[in-house]
Amino acid sequence: MTTVLPQKPEGTYTFASQPRAVPQRKKYRDSAAQQQNPDGPTSYGNIMYDRRVVRGNTYAQHTLPATVQPDPLELQRQQENRRRAIAKKRAKDQLRPRSPDPVEGRKHIDVQTELYLEELSDRVEEADQECQTDAFLDRPPSPLFIPAKTGIDVATQIYEGDLFDFDVECKPILEVLVGKTVEQALLEVMEEEELANLRQQQRAFEELRNVELVEQQRLEEQERRHREEKERRMKQQREVLKKEKETAEKIAARAFAQSYLADLVPSVFGTLSDNGYFFDPVERDVEQGFLPWLMDQVTVELDRSELGRLCLDGLLRELVSRRVDVYKQLDAEIVQARKEEAEAKKIVTETIPSDGDADASPDTDKEKSPPQAAEEELYDDDQQPEQAPSDDTEAAQDD
Amino acid sequence: MASTLISAKYPTNIDATKTPLAYGNRAIPRLNRELNDANLLVRQRAVMSLCDHLHDPEHIAESIRTGIDKSLKGLLKDPDITVRQKATECLCVMAGHALGRDSFLENETIYPVALLFDDPEPIARKNAHMCVMMISETPPGAEGIVQAQFVDLLVKKLQVELDNIKEIILDTLHFCMRVDTNSALEANAMEAFTVLLKHELPTIRFKAARDIMDLSVPLAGKDRAVACGALQLLKDMLSDLTTEVRANAAGAIMTITITTKGKYTAIHAMTIPALVNLVDDINSEVRLNAIKALTCLAEAPEGRRELLQHVEQIRNHTKDHREAVAHAARIAVKVITWLP
Repeated sequence: MTTVLPQKPEGTYTFASQPRAVPQRKKYRDSAAQQQNPDGPTSYGNIMYDRRVVRGNTYAQHTLPATVQPDPLELQRQQENRRRAIAKKRAKDQLRPRSPDPVEGRKHIDVQTELYLEELSDRVEEADQECQTDAFLDRPPSPLFIPAKTGIDVATQIYEGDLFDFDVECKPILEVLVGKTVEQALLEVMEEEELANLRQQQRAFEELRNVELVEQQRLEEQERRHREEKERRMKQQREVLKKEKETAEKIAARAFAQSYLADLVPSVFGTLSDNGYFFDPVERDVEQGFLPWLMDQVTVELDRSELGRLCLDGLLRELVSRRVDVYKQLDAEIVQARKEEAEAKKIVTETIPSDGDADASPDTDKEKSPPQAAEEELYDDDQQPEQAPSDDTEAAQDD
Repeated sequence: MASTLISAKYPTNIDATKTPLAYGNRAIPRLNRELNDANLLVRQRAVMSLCDHLHDPEHIAESIRTGIDKSLKGLLKDPDITVRQKATECLCVMAGHALGRDSFLENETIYPVALLFDDPEPIARKNAHMCVMMISETPPGAEGIVQAQFVDLLVKKLQVELDNIKEIILDTLHFCMRVDTNSALEANAMEAFTVLLKHELPTIRFKAARDIMDLSVPLAGKDRAVACGALQLLKDMLSDLTTEVRANAAGAIMTITITTKGKYTAIHAMTIPALVNLVDDINSEVRLNAIKALTCLAEAPEGRRELLQHVEQIRNHTKDHREAVAHAARIAVKVITWLP
């Protein structure tokens, strides 16, 4: 951007501009509107009118301004002049003769009027030119840059200690450094020492605290053990008491039961045995099975013996009656015989006197035991001649 | 050559790694502004200067008032390692003061700090753990850590971290377990501590023993300690060369042997002769813990029978110049000579 400072008539002209490329020049005049635009890059115009070029005599230019402060009235007048000049220039531009406006439906175009037509273009002809350099050689190392010597050589002599005095230059810095470091170190050491002291106190406290804690726990544990022991003992004691009580009760119950049962047992046994709950199976069998059978058998036997006796009685009666008959017959015969004998005796008494005794004894035998004889006959069949008389007597006795 | 002349021009930056402090009460606001700067170099230099500046306890309150703590919280997520590590260091220094701890809990800075536990840079991790350790020193801080469920994370880290970080974690857990032991028990901390008892560094051994002591304060902890077989290891530690290891091993034994199971395990591990040797130790803490442990062991009939031979040695300490030791010795003698 070109900045053209307004030139003061009194001051020197100054100009400052950014470097810029030269704009391509148009072949034709631009439209008025564009030309008036002051913002666009102004092309370099005629040097004759360039205000940077000083014209005329310069001797009179460096006159100092009469007044440092420019006259405001003068300034205003100048501005007005400038404005008027611009307005005039604009009016002149507009007054410039132009081509008449085209007819309706047409428009202006550029036409060449030269003899030979040539291609028209806005562009300026350009032609590319090339050239090829040789391949680069290896670049030699750039020599050490030594700036060109300027000025005048002047020499002076400096003695030791003139420029750099260690005591002056370094001592304060060193003092500051050392002082700061020591101060810092002291702070840190103090901090650490404080911490260490705290730790030591803490440890001393903890030593006591731990011991007290352990002592407390130990006593707690002791107390717990004692309590447990006590409870265990109490429980044991309680159990012993309970057992004792139980035993006493048992003994009492036993005594009571014994006394109660003492007369109960015999009575119960008595009742029970009375009721027949206790029995001897053999005896019972004998009683229940054998004795009735025995009785039956005895009855049967007795019946049988009665029957036998009845039979015997019948037999005896018949026998007796028959014997009676026989004996009657015999008596009759005897009587007859005696009569005959008596008759015979009377005949024979004179012949055999002893025969009479002998005959007399068998007769008595016969008279004395007629039943015996009958029985002898009976038992002849049984072939028990010796026992028969006794049996008979017994049987007779039973009857 | 000495003269009063002072060099007219100091170098502009005497220490190029630090930003120069502004004068007086402008120093902190300027640092705060530079902490939030977009330029990495400015942030780095500011955080370096701040770190040194905060070491003076007089500056803590002002920096918290200015909001340095919030800026540092933002810097914890910085992609640059130097900034992160110095920011954690600053927080660590601040956490060393009550005000700093309060602001820490108020701003919930614990959460971004805990993210740094996984940082690839060991120094940043160490500083982060230091911060958490400092926070955990007060009961409210320890409670905050327990509530944020960091105990589990810390126990996991305890198994994989570097040795110096392990020490810090053990300290943190120590303080946390003063507040709550359940979360540590759930995180299987007892097993982790038992493993650390075999560590070659005495500091870690003593801290692990101390943490076992803390963890076995509740009944479940004692049972767990017996189950882990910690007693045998602790017994071996009783003859350690370092005083603190001996003291804390004896302390852990005295805490575990409260229970009957612990007593008998300890008696079978032959701890009584080792503990009797410690009764005449120079360090009062060792003496105290050993006598207490013997008192606990004497409550078991077997222990009492064995200890009756050493009763004179303990009786000598009833006139110990430390009142606590003398008191403990009197109790011990009473318990040992107790007759049913």
